[in-house]
Amino acid sequence: MIGNFPFAVCMILIALGLWTLLTRRNLIKLAIGITLIESGVNLFLVTLGYVRGGVAPIYTYAPPGARMVLPTPQALTLTSIVIGLATTALMLAFAVVIYRHRGTLDAGKIRELRG
Amino acid sequence: MTIGIHVPILAIAVPLLGAFALPIFAKVHRNLRDLWAILVAAFTCAMVVALAVQVFTSGIQLYTLGAASPTATVVQGGFPIRIVLVVDGMSAFMGLITALVGLASLMYAFQFLKEEQGKTLAMTLFFLLWAGMLGMESTGDMFNFFVFLEVTSIAACALVGYRTWESRPPEAAFKTMAMYTVGGLLVLLAVGILYGEYGALNIAYLSSQISGTPLDKVALGLLLGGLLMKAGTVPAHMWAPDAYGEAPAQAAIVLVANTQASLYGLFRVLFTLYGGALSTPAVGWLVTALGTLTLLVAALMAVIQTDLGGLIAYGAVSQIGYMLLGGGVGLTVISSRPDFGLVAMKGGIFHMMNDAATVGLLFLAAGVVKRACGTKDLRALGGLGHDLKWTSGFFFLGALALAGIPPLNGFASKFLIYESSFRLSPILTAIAVLGSILLLAVFVRAFQGAFLGPRLRTVQPAPLGMLIAMGVLAAIILAFGLVPDFFVRHMVTPAAEALWRGRDLYLAAVLGD
Amino acid sequence: MRLVTGQGFWSPLVWLALAAGVALLAWAFWFRGRRTYKAGTDQDMPFLSGEQVPEGAHVGGQHLYWGFVEGLRPFVDRVQAFHTGFLGDYMTWLVVLLAVALLVVMLT
Repeated sequence: MIGNFPFAVCMILIALGLWTLLTRRNLIKLAIGITLIESGVNLFLVTLGYVRGGVAPIYTYAPPGARMVLPTPQALTLTSIVIGLATTALMLAFAVVIYRHRGTLDAGKIRELRG
Repeated sequence: MTIGIHVPILAIAVPLLGAFALPIFAKVHRNLRDLWAILVAAFTCAMVVALAVQVFTSGIQLYTLGAASPTATVVQGGFPIRIVLVVDGMSAFMGLITALVGLASLMYAFQFLKEEQGKTLAMTLFFLLWAGMLGMESTGDMFNFFVFLEVTSIAACALVGYRTWESRPPEAAFKTMAMYTVGGLLVLLAVGILYGEYGALNIAYLSSQISGTPLDKVALGLLLGGLLMKAGTVPAHMWAPDAYGEAPAQAAIVLVANTQASLYGLFRVLFTLYGGALSTPAVGWLVTALGTLTLLVAALMAVIQTDLGGLIAYGAVSQIGYMLLGGGVGLTVISSRPDFGLVAMKGGIFHMMNDAATVGLLFLAAGVVKRACGTKDLRALGGLGHDLKWTSGFFFLGALALAGIPPLNGFASKFLIYESSFRLSPILTAIAVLGSILLLAVFVRAFQGAFLGPRLRTVQPAPLGMLIAMGVLAAIILAFGLVPDFFVRHMVTPAAEALWRGRDLYLAAVLGD
Repeated sequence: MRLVTGQGFWSPLVWLALAAGVALLAWAFWFRGRRTYKAGTDQDMPFLSGEQVPEGAHVGGQHLYWGFVEGLRPFVDRVQAFHTGFLGDYMTWLVVLLAVALLVVMLT
């Protein structure tokens, strides 16, 4: 019934994130764009594990003989979320330091390293 | 239960433990931290060398995490479900490069870094980056590769930008972090697509299942995009001069090794993961063309640089072009397997080791200049050869080796690449030689401007520890240059064979148990 | 001792032997030359295109190889125009690389 709709949503999220990265100049907005791409990829990973009519993959909770959704993508997504946390934190920290030095968050003006 | 079978995991786990325990030891006393760092580094190098010896004498080494015995890769269903570390010739060779660069960086850092400028922080990040690189090079699992890729990204960007009292390093670190994160997410998307298709993350199992379906091709395109960006391929190379130029010298050489580890990942994907599914030479031609473009554009950009760090950085990007050219020529002709394809692979892989030593030596010498004069701008430097005698000698040696002057090691690997790419297309060889000539001009100019001429100011010579670190890399340059055949036969050929013909052995080792 | 490629070989020790022979020849030429010169006169000073320069003149790094760099100026300027330092341009080039890779892989 749903078909490939969740995958299309994930791709739209990733495309929106990429579009933000290409067209926005504020450093914080660039960090948000990267977070959008991360969210899209994490959603894609979780959606991969869906089995039609499956229940949560907990041995003690599921009725006997029931089909469970795949647990591996959920583990992958957790790892990816933590990695995304670390990268976003680092990027925002560097954005704060850049603001302290330059007084601006415009990526078009922060171009001391060029050429 | 001897320690010998646990060597693959110890090579990754020990520097990781070292990284996290280092700040605790630093709180107790500085010398305890230094002693801990020396112990961890020595143990890691011993593990890597032992692993390399094991691989070169007895073949592919396996280590299954969490199983009853390290070689029990396949469970009853006939399917590898645990993370398997698969160390073949290519992984062992990259491990040797990583260990060498790490050792030189640590020896240099002891006297280069100042206590009040975050020495503990830099050493912690260095060990984390080292552990991540060794993990990236030994793993046989795609998601594990992604995790170590991100670990190295975070550690590398932190090393680029931790000197927040200046204004340029944080800017370089932000740009590098943004590029690395997007590249890593492209890789994760591709891994997700492959998992969704085949239900596995193990490289060997995926390699046996991948056929040429459109989703497989999308995954290959995403992997190519992400890994080529991380390897510094033109046109996505612009983060590299920023990152290498602004990182402190002991971190710049480890960043170069990190880029080469990403290049290793690209070769693993192209030759082992997709080895059975690439039916046309199109991808090989793409890699060859991008390598040639990288060569030329980076050499041209290096001509007008006035910052010594940026100059060497563009030289490093240009050398990645040579490695891509060697690997690309091999990939283009892999379906018919003529002899010159293997020669191209050997040239490209040998050039990885040579480039690590050469560019490493140049970055360390530039670090000495920065420490002595406070600036790396060529317009303000001059006559440093009067006081920094050994450093100018090392810089000269590194410059000659980078430009590929006989009898040094740069010539040996570039010779292999020239001879084999000529058989594919003479234009490639012409552009490669042109790139070498441009870089020779650039570095002669830099050497003369910075080190020769009348003395402009009096500077302190470099401390002994830093000179020893540079001496180790210089010894590697001379050794690999004067007796290249010994190293090519015993170290490079197993690595090249592991990619050229070794996919079946790889699959049999992991799946055939 | 020889690095063998498909079509030839490279032997650094043979090269070193030949280089030593050439160096010996150069030394022999130098040995046969005149050793007399008048110190402290114009014969001692470096020649900088005929100009009288004070002691300790320094040619900065950016002026060396001027002709070489000027000759490459058309190519270098065109390549440098792409390196703007703007993060959005870096991302654009990454998307271009990704698009090229996807096109090449999907259409073959």
